[in-house]
Amino acid sequence: MSNKTMTFNPNANKDIFSKINLFVQTHTALMALIIAVVLYVVTIIINPRGLNTVAIGNIILLTIILSIPAAGQTMVLIGGGMDFSVGAVMSSTAVLTTYTMRGENGHFITVLLLSLVIGAAVGLLNGVCCVKIGLPAMIVTMAISNIVTRMQYILTQGILSGKASPLFSASVKSKIFGVIPMIVIYAIIVWPIVFYLLKRSRFGKQLYMVGNNSGAARLNGVRVTKIQIMSYVFSGMLAAFAGMLGAAYMSTARCQIFDDYAYMSLIAVIIGGTTFAGGSGTYEGSIAGSLVMVLLSNLLTTLNPTQPVRNVLNAAILILLLVLYNRGKAVRQ
Amino acid sequence: MLEMKGIDKRFGAVVALNKASLTVQDGQIAALAGSNGSGKSTMVKVLAGLVAPNAGEIFIDGEKKIIHSGTDAARENIATAFQDLSLIPTMSVKDNILLGCEICTKSGMVDEKTSRKQVQELLDRFHIDCDPDDYVQTLMPSTQSMLEVAKAVFRKPKILLLDEVTASLHYDEIETLFGIMRELKAEGISMVYVTHRMNEIFEICDTITIMRSSETVISGQVSEFTLDDIIYYMTGSRPKHAKAKESDLSHLDDREVVVNVKDISVYPKVKDISMKAYKGEIVGIGGLEGQGQPEVIRAILGAVKPQSGSIEFMGKPVKFKDPAAGVKAGIGFISGDRNKEAIFDVRTIAENIFAGNSAKESLFAYLSARKVRQFSEDAVKKYNIKIGKLKDPASSLSGGNQQKLVVARWIAMNPNLLLLDDPTKGVDIHSRQEIHEILRECAANGMTIIISASDTEELLNISDRIYVFYEGKVAAELAGETKTAEHLVSAMMGVQESGGKEAAE
Ligand SMILES: Nc1ncnc2c1ncn2[C@@H]1O[C@H](COP(=O)(O)OP(=O)(O)OP(=O)(O)O)[C@@H](O)[C@H]1O
Ligand SMILES: [Mg+2]
Repeated sequence: MSNKTMTFNPNANKDIFSKINLFVQTHTALMALIIAVVLYVVTIIINPRGLNTVAIGNIILLTIILSIPAAGQTMVLIGGGMDFSVGAVMSSTAVLTTYTMRGENGHFITVLLLSLVIGAAVGLLNGVCCVKIGLPAMIVTMAISNIVTRMQYILTQGILSGKASPLFSASVKSKIFGVIPMIVIYAIIVWPIVFYLLKRSRFGKQLYMVGNNSGAARLNGVRVTKIQIMSYVFSGMLAAFAGMLGAAYMSTARCQIFDDYAYMSLIAVIIGGTTFAGGSGTYEGSIAGSLVMVLLSNLLTTLNPTQPVRNVLNAAILILLLVLYNRGKAVRQ
Repeated sequence: MLEMKGIDKRFGAVVALNKASLTVQDGQIAALAGSNGSGKSTMVKVLAGLVAPNAGEIFIDGEKKIIHSGTDAARENIATAFQDLSLIPTMSVKDNILLGCEICTKSGMVDEKTSRKQVQELLDRFHIDCDPDDYVQTLMPSTQSMLEVAKAVFRKPKILLLDEVTASLHYDEIETLFGIMRELKAEGISMVYVTHRMNEIFEICDTITIMRSSETVISGQVSEFTLDDIIYYMTGSRPKHAKAKESDLSHLDDREVVVNVKDISVYPKVKDISMKAYKGEIVGIGGLEGQGQPEVIRAILGAVKPQSGSIEFMGKPVKFKDPAAGVKAGIGFISGDRNKEAIFDVRTIAENIFAGNSAKESLFAYLSARKVRQFSEDAVKKYNIKIGKLKDPASSLSGGNQQKLVVARWIAMNPNLLLLDDPTKGVDIHSRQEIHEILRECAANGMTIIISASDTEELLNISDRIYVFYEGKVAAELAGETKTAEHLVSAMMGVQESGGKEAAE
């Protein structure tokens, strides 16, 4: 009898481990949220003065801004691609916003339409090159980023110029009840659209199908290339809009100001449970992932290490998170 | 001698094995039968070291063995041909076979020459007609199945596990395989053989173990069982012997021609094929592997473009630019190659069932969660799909249940024309009959059905009329009197005879 218990003990352990693993894999959004809470608690323990309304408001604001390019990134990743150009698109529309508004009210609609067109055009170009021509997404979107960045310099000659309109800035930054930044209004508009697309439309269903098994999707009657290109277009448009909000938040925008958002959105989305392999992921996960990214940078600021140390820490924590998350699922049980 | 005793396995809330047992004597072939989801593959995977059981013991030659990994299994000389294949599609045939047992020279380098020679010998033995350097993903499903077995045999096992390896094999390939199995048996190798094709059990197996809902219900010598007994133990009820009723085809010529394929060719397999399907008819396509059946079906769907010839659908000439166009026009396609062409393994069961609907209507219209759930609940009930929860990923289903899901997906969409390429691959005998009944019902309500099947018996049962393909041409058209096993097999082998109607007429 003792022999038997001996034999199957490792299995019992494995069972608990696999249960935890299963939980992590099926509740990725929740896991990201738990990580966010841990990060925040650590930050507050290190620096209790960080617990104030201004800091909290800032966290909300930055999370919302990041959650918007992350939405596009989520779509593209679900469809089996990757979009490294969201940062460049954000920077471009940010520069465009300040350049056009010049600190005056009343250009919002013009800027919005122009930005969305630019975002859609970049997305279309990304989509066509990656999907139709079949070049590797990472390289294509980076190359296109470079072109987009050049445009910023052509427009502004690299000089910091213009300013977001005061009204627009206020609609992003001013606080409701002194805590919650007005930008939540934009989130209330954008988030439901993204949820609708992913969860309540056949576009979403088809996107998941395409990312999971494009051959099967095609034979089922899905236009695979069309769906994938559309995911890039949506990503471009969302990034374009986020760039405007970013400009409103910063008031001024130099060239390449938001380039970091390319990799930040990618990591936020991965932390939120979307896989590189395509076919799975949720937007709630990506929002939670965005929160994790913001809180992580918050924590690093609190620690206030020298820049190189900060970079190393940042990278180490991210690698740890990614390893935890994207632990390849067993091919077969 | 191999013994498995009291094996339990749970996947979350799903019980896959409950005190299951299996015994195989040396040099014997033991059939492992049971309906879809009864736990056969899980038993095989326990032996192969891929599934860790929650309880139970394994003995080989009376000695207790612990098998926790593929390496453990290899050490006990157990080799497995898996139901869902273990081949790596992006690697060559040769590398797949040699994977993990590379042949080395004395200096430790890979011995290219000997490897190549041994691989070629193996391929010849299995009559696998491909280059050792071909990528596996370019091979036909049945060739891949053969390769999966060859790979296992190459490992010179004492115990060979074969999980539904004949599901996509054709008549001649099965003959080859059985020949090899008899040779292995003579060498004293024990085999576990999982199949849903009952005649194979009587042909090749010595003993049989039958499973029902995760439990071993009975085992004994095959000679002690009749077909009805086996089905009884599998399902718990005696089968009814209602003869499938033939549709009344007397007025065939005044009926509407739904599909009219004229002289199409698709390089390289299809040379010159013409065929017709009338409204409400079930048209079978028979033939050995690689005679152009899948290509013709895909040409009708719009997935491949014929080089010449024309296709008319509902009276109008059509040139679908992709399957989406075909689907839009009212065609549905069910593939038996589920991993590659049908299943979205990381998506939920509900989404998988709804996939046909997802592809069809407008992209941005509101789609309620309730609609998806309702649709999939209905299908699960109607087709008796054995699932845990609708939210579980499709990969949690047993092979046969995945296939039923794919069938349900399209039949529920009620297309004008349903194309089926080996649709009941891996589906148990009982469910297969149910699917046949549903197809009959659909046909009676006016759906036109074109079906290709690797199993000749199934083809004869389900079809009103059969086109037999040979070398990319129609070798015979069988209907009524001529629709018999003899005619079908001889036409498949390319033997011309007076019984079959000539295609040219
Ligand atoms: N990884 C898994 N996760 C959850 N459930 C599983 C998993 N693998 C198998 N199951 C469940 O275990 C049961 C037995 O599955 P198994 O694959 O052994 O069936 P099977 O007898 O081989 O059926 P088939 O004839 O359809 O291949 C099924 O109900 C299946 O849904
Ligand atoms: Mg199975």
